[in-house]
Amino acid sequence: MSKPTLATVSLGGCEGCHVALLDAHEGLLDILGMADLVHSPFNGTETIPDRVDVVMVEGAVTTEEDLRRLRACRAAAGTLVAIGSCAVLGGIGGLRNLSPLSQVTHVAFGDTTKSPLLPRLLPNVHAVTDYVAVDISVAGCAPETELVVAALVAAITGQPHELPRRNLCDECHRTKNTLLMHSREFVSDAVYALMELDHIDEDSCLLEQGLMCMGPMTREGCGAKCTAMNVPCRGCSGPSRLDFESGGKAVDALAAILPAGALMYLEDLIGTGYRFTMPVSVFPAIVDTEESDNG
Amino acid sequence: MALGVYLSRCGGLVDAAIDVDEALANVREVAAVACVVDDVFDPIVVAAIESDIREGGVDAVVLAGNSAEHLSKSLSAGHLTRRLVSAGVNPNRIVVANLLEQVALAHPGDRIGATRKAAGIIDVAALFATMSPEVESIDLEPKRSVLVLGVTTEAMIAAQRLLQLGYEVVIADRGNGSATAASATVLKSTSAFVRGHARCKFIDGARLVDGDGWLGDYHIQIQSNEGSRRIVVGGILIARPDSAEWVAELREHFRVDVDDDGFARPLDPHNHPAETIDPGIMVVPVRVDGTAHRDKVAAADSVAMALVLRLSQTTVSHYGDTSAVDEALCGGCATCVRTCAFGACTLDENGRSHVDVRRCRGCGKCVVSCPVGARDIVSSPHDYLIEAVRSLSRVPVDVGHARVIGFLCGGCGYPAADAASEFVAQRGQGYPVTFMPLRIPCGGRLDTLYVLEAFKVGFDAVCVYRCRQGHCHNLIGNLDMDRRINLLRAVLRSRNIDDARLRIVDISPTEGERFVESVEEIYVSIASLTNGKGAAV
Ligand code: SF4
Ligand code: SF4
Ligand code: SF4
Ligand code: SF4
Ligand code: SF4
Repeated sequence: MSKPTLATVSLGGCEGCHVALLDAHEGLLDILGMADLVHSPFNGTETIPDRVDVVMVEGAVTTEEDLRRLRACRAAAGTLVAIGSCAVLGGIGGLRNLSPLSQVTHVAFGDTTKSPLLPRLLPNVHAVTDYVAVDISVAGCAPETELVVAALVAAITGQPHELPRRNLCDECHRTKNTLLMHSREFVSDAVYALMELDHIDEDSCLLEQGLMCMGPMTREGCGAKCTAMNVPCRGCSGPSRLDFESGGKAVDALAAILPAGALMYLEDLIGTGYRFTMPVSVFPAIVDTEESDNG
Repeated sequence: MALGVYLSRCGGLVDAAIDVDEALANVREVAAVACVVDDVFDPIVVAAIESDIREGGVDAVVLAGNSAEHLSKSLSAGHLTRRLVSAGVNPNRIVVANLLEQVALAHPGDRIGATRKAAGIIDVAALFATMSPEVESIDLEPKRSVLVLGVTTEAMIAAQRLLQLGYEVVIADRGNGSATAASATVLKSTSAFVRGHARCKFIDGARLVDGDGWLGDYHIQIQSNEGSRRIVVGGILIARPDSAEWVAELREHFRVDVDDDGFARPLDPHNHPAETIDPGIMVVPVRVDGTAHRDKVAAADSVAMALVLRLSQTTVSHYGDTSAVDEALCGGCATCVRTCAFGACTLDENGRSHVDVRRCRGCGKCVVSCPVGARDIVSSPHDYLIEAVRSLSRVPVDVGHARVIGFLCGGCGYPAADAASEFVAQRGQGYPVTFMPLRIPCGGRLDTLYVLEAFKVGFDAVCVYRCRQGHCHNLIGNLDMDRRINLLRAVLRSRNIDDARLRIVDISPTEGERFVESVEEIYVSIASLTNGKGAAV
């Protein structure tokens, strides 16, 4: 009996998720022992074969070409695995949905006509789930190598695959102190940027120190590697309940424990709350004004 | 789930303003029983509903007619609910659709609009009745003792009645209550009887420092001239509703509402003049100078009787109108712990959140602030509220008319919307019929997701009604909501939705006129906005 086939495809992303897969080093040999890699950015074949047992997709749908390739992936794939926050949530590139396409192209390319050979940008960035059904999703930017490998092994062997569903605080090593006490005072009197603080306590919760940690709004699974390095979680794994907006929930949760005034003066409240999830938010793109409808 | 819908004509007031059969048309498709009755309190109607429950398998009931406020407070409604519960329906599945005050009386002269709105409100009640999980009950034997706060003439008369009926009475006064009672020139004999009674105690120089519990079983810590002591009583009687200190201390621990003057107030002065939000805490009406003696006696008697009615049962049932935690989701971020104004949340040694049901008021602040959805309130579940917003957006409106959704806090906005019917009757003109009300237990229960969803499904504006500052029946639910909603404005602006489409209205439960004005104002202000409403792309 021949081995199952595997293809990996990169849509509108940075190929960082593929790098996460390469980071498995010898672990990759296990995967290649289980499946034949028939198509991937590593081996350079042009087109996606008609029939592949497992297809891993990285990246968001940002151009007409992405969409065509995504549809080809779905048609070919027995099991479709979406890897990374771009594919699952729209990802960081999805922040372009905050502006109308005309403004985006003006800023990026200027007003001169672009080459007709370039793929045309879609009006908005989309997660792959906006167009096709996905069997296994692993968000993260990039996801932990072990999570990518585990998802592919599950897909190849036909095992069920489940991600943890709690928030990141569950696996963060930091301890809470003032958050554990009910009080009508906020846990911190201000919200600080990382470099504003002379000293960051290694062991206590970053929120309690006035740093914007997205841990509460973010799915665990990455091992809380950022908070372990004194860096607040930016929320790259997205919300643990996909019907919850991480931005809306950041507002709901943080307004209860940090002064809203301080949050409002954050450089970029929207970018903070929706950094990886704009395309899957309730309003995935800006609502055009009547003027721009007419124009 | 077999749904039974009973539309009450309310003595002809409802069918005068809406087409009752048309209003039931949608729900007939999903309900096992959908019928029009004269009055849901009529013994024949009650018996018919009971038989639908027992023999027809009906296990979710919508009573469409009177306001929820009316139904949850009046004694006859309490009786009706108990009969339906004993027939086999979980109390969380007995739901009221307010057609009388918020539709029929609010929109005279617009039969088509009012009928559509009534249908929408019935649909939402049907969602609630069928989507809500069953609540569990805790039964307890009530303590036959009462704490009276403040020495007044009414307090002494009520204490006398209670002592005569075999209750223990503790009378706490901020000053020297026993001396005040002894020096009473009127009703000397009553005062002497109370002071000399073996089952009566006075606590002078008292302050209430801690408390929790329910009707039938309150645990209260009192600090006084003699030090600190803990007392356990079945009920509390506020004889000095005008004492700012007592009221503030009570509101730290129990559900006591205040009126515009900051006085403790009964929730429904017409139907049940003694009862506050917490059913074991009764208010003696505020004394006005020169109140006739017989009126004081009558007031004291009715308060004592109301408490006795509650405490003379062999058991009282408390249904868990509380927050519940899904341990599979809770990661221990502790947001809920910090947020809960009643100290009902704690994290255990595994980092999972827990609810102390005796302290929890079901205000929903923890549900909103839990970023993973590990929490929910059984009597106001998340999935129902989202579905209700969607359902109300489907109520048809005439071309060119704006739709507005109003999230009405149960402590202020909802009773104010009821009170608005009186103002509408006075001026003889309704407010815009496309304003869709949705009750939430507290302003603090308003999740930003509901506001976003409302814009997404096509509402032109969202109004949130919340208690005035210092009057929140959950202490700070209103302020928490303000902070969230004001931060959400940045999110709306980022999608080109004008944040003037999102309005916070602070209101008191009796301010019907203000309610109508606020609705009309939002319609005026959105009429001039050109910039995009919801409708996600
Ligand atoms: S999820 Fe992150 S690492 Fe992966 S493709 Fe997108 S931007 Fe790159
Ligand atoms: S630092 Fe962040 S992830 Fe860690 S406990 Fe605090 S909020 Fe949670
Ligand atoms: S800690 Fe947060 S930002 Fe860092 S990897 Fe994990 S989810 Fe991503
Ligand atoms: S519902 Fe309100 S009172 Fe109950 S635990 Fe949550 S915040 Fe506390
Ligand atoms: S807010 Fe939610 S996740 Fe955080 S501790 Fe409370 S229940 Fe758990």
